[in-house]
Amino acid sequence: MSKQGRKDTVNGPRIGVFVCNCGTNIAGFLDAKTVADYASGLPNVIFVRENLYSCSEAGINDIRQAITDNKLERVVVAACTPRTHEPTFRAACEDAGLNPYYFEFVNIREHCSWVHKEDREAATEKAKDLIRMGVARAAYLEPMEPIIGDVTKRALVIGGGISGMTASLELARRGFEVVLVEKQKQLGGLLRAVNWIYPHEKPAAEYVKGLVGRVGKARRIKVLKSSEVTEVKGYIGNYIVSVTSLKEPVTAGIIILATGAEVLVPEGQYGFDSKRAVTQLQLEGLLAKPGTRPKNVVMIGCVGSRMRDRLYCSRICCMTAIKNAILIRKKWKSDVTMLYRDLMCYGIKNESLLMDAKEAGVRFVNYPDDAPPLAEKGEVKVTSAILGREMVLPYDLLVLETPLVPAGTNEALSRMLKVPLDEYGFFLEAHVKLRPLDFATDGIFVCGTARWPAGIQECIEQALGAASRASTFLESGRVKVEPIVSFITEEDCRGCGLCVALCPYGAIELIETEAGEKARTIDVACKGCGTCGATCYRGAITMKHYSDEQLTAQIRAAFEKE
Amino acid sequence: MVIESLLAGADGVFVGACKRGECHYTSGNLHAEGKMEITKRVLRMAGIDPARLRMRMMSSAEGNKFVEFAGEFQKDITELGPLGKPEGIDKNDLEVKLQAAGKALGGRKIRWVTGKIVEFTEKGNLYGEKFTAHEIGRLFDEIAMDEFRLREILERLKGKPHSVKELATKMDTAPKILVRQMADLKKMGFAEIHSVVGNTPMWELSGNGETAYE
Repeated sequence: MSKQGRKDTVNGPRIGVFVCNCGTNIAGFLDAKTVADYASGLPNVIFVRENLYSCSEAGINDIRQAITDNKLERVVVAACTPRTHEPTFRAACEDAGLNPYYFEFVNIREHCSWVHKEDREAATEKAKDLIRMGVARAAYLEPMEPIIGDVTKRALVIGGGISGMTASLELARRGFEVVLVEKQKQLGGLLRAVNWIYPHEKPAAEYVKGLVGRVGKARRIKVLKSSEVTEVKGYIGNYIVSVTSLKEPVTAGIIILATGAEVLVPEGQYGFDSKRAVTQLQLEGLLAKPGTRPKNVVMIGCVGSRMRDRLYCSRICCMTAIKNAILIRKKWKSDVTMLYRDLMCYGIKNESLLMDAKEAGVRFVNYPDDAPPLAEKGEVKVTSAILGREMVLPYDLLVLETPLVPAGTNEALSRMLKVPLDEYGFFLEAHVKLRPLDFATDGIFVCGTARWPAGIQECIEQALGAASRASTFLESGRVKVEPIVSFITEEDCRGCGLCVALCPYGAIELIETEAGEKARTIDVACKGCGTCGATCYRGAITMKHYSDEQLTAQIRAAFEKE
Repeated sequence: MVIESLLAGADGVFVGACKRGECHYTSGNLHAEGKMEITKRVLRMAGIDPARLRMRMMSSAEGNKFVEFAGEFQKDITELGPLGKPEGIDKNDLEVKLQAAGKALGGRKIRWVTGKIVEFTEKGNLYGEKFTAHEIGRLFDEIAMDEFRLREILERLKGKPHSVKELATKMDTAPKILVRQMADLKKMGFAEIHSVVGNTPMWELSGNGETAYE
């Protein structure tokens, strides 16, 4: 194999290799000494040291000392995973005056000693291969500086329901300006249609009124009603958002998405007519007004959810139904029967609410998945899963428990903000457990039912969380990003725009130059994923720290076994 | 990088990706999938067994799956033997074909099509028409064939002038297909007739032939 693509020892950079034993974690399962000896024979390597623990105080001092004493220009550490110690070793390089991106990590613990415990020789050979590859890449590493961007100390909150209002108030309380955009004429969202809040035992109207009042009084919050977002440009720290009611666009450092959800309208199901057959939300309205007093009320659960095309459980309908059933028993004294498939009563207070309902005389009938009830001429026919026979229940009011479904505006917003939707059309967070309120795109956060059906308490929790996440950026006023981004060589770019179209983060823009349109990376918005680099037919895009040159050197080294 | 690996001496290339919908970079795995599909087709055109390239999806928590996939691949490639041997391609020819494959895959046409493919399958084209897997397959086949042949001609003309007949023998293709392609290349300004030996025109790269077709 040719040595093409590798720097020669005479002119190449001075590379130091540190082989970590990780106690016995590495040295117990492969021959670390053989590996270290091998490394000393690799091109450009002028210093090799075996450490018991490279990450320990002694190990770090060793690295720092070796850089100074031997004028090392690259440092390769063969140890564990970048997840734990890359920052440690980069910092060690920086301390000794070496650019931290001159550091190359080779993982011989997870990739060798741990997975090849049974075969010492193979583990040793593989460690040699990986170090040879790491050394080859290291020769091509380039120094880089972290990217720092300013953050406009203003937040844009889209959606003025309970989540959006809570998040806005929280951010305002922390001293940040907020622009709150609401599509409707009034703030309040779905909560405006709700009658009663459990477990607070409080009319929802009172709560909404209080919240709207506080938002109105907050001098840092600017409310834009009857307004919609039409265009979003920019990136974390510097979003430029056009809103229908404003002539000039709004600038904001971060965006919180709190657009909520809609209640499914069960057209054509169970004789739905908004009079005698209503949704749970319409029932809330009836309960809030005097007048109605039906003798028999029947509720049907899972109407339009947990079925084909809408597999999910909307989570909050069961509890809403139980809450309303109790209220009906108290207020109207009607007979109430709840037909359910399963009961979703998660949370501490909610389980006890189910007991309250049973005590209040609400009748619960379980119907099987494959035999939904039938409603006709004022009667519901249902097969009880427990009794195994059909029951006929007369009704004066039929209440259908329909799920929350994604808002119709989600798709347009998803495109504008470059944030993904899940399979049903709800917004999808960056990571279900690790980053539940973030989007993969930096500087945009999600809370409330825009993400998934949620109760009031959960909406508030998420709104406070999103506001807290957002304020970490707003507070510092600066955003520091890894410089592992794409770089576009202007002379080679023909401005075709494919990279702009494909970038999942909106991190490339076309700019007008004297030589025509050219693509340019917006460093702070770029995640370094490489989609653009793999797409440019002109080879004009380099992925920094993962350049073709670096990776090719690594691949060639893989097959250069003597 | 796939072709680079084969050129460097790999007998097979395994690409591991996240599961659909779980990509850390939103849709990178779908783009990768499209690219691997067309790469396989170009390899097939180059006479290389496309089984030498395999992509498997798994989550980062599925170490057992990775072990299983890697083991299978190792076994299959070992059975297949060294690159070029079962395919009956000699070393020089292999290099020419891989270079041509690399250029075809890095060229404008394939990069545009694979770039847009995720959009076409997930969201539909400008008219809202979604492409089926079958349609994409046919589209890829066609483009892979055209692009690879073109690149191979350019690669082979680099060394010395060739007649269509010579090219057809080396490329294992019918001369009448190549005649048409040569005419296209001439029109685009990438190839021209160098001399006429007897009644046979000999083709060579024209002035900008080597660099212009990008």
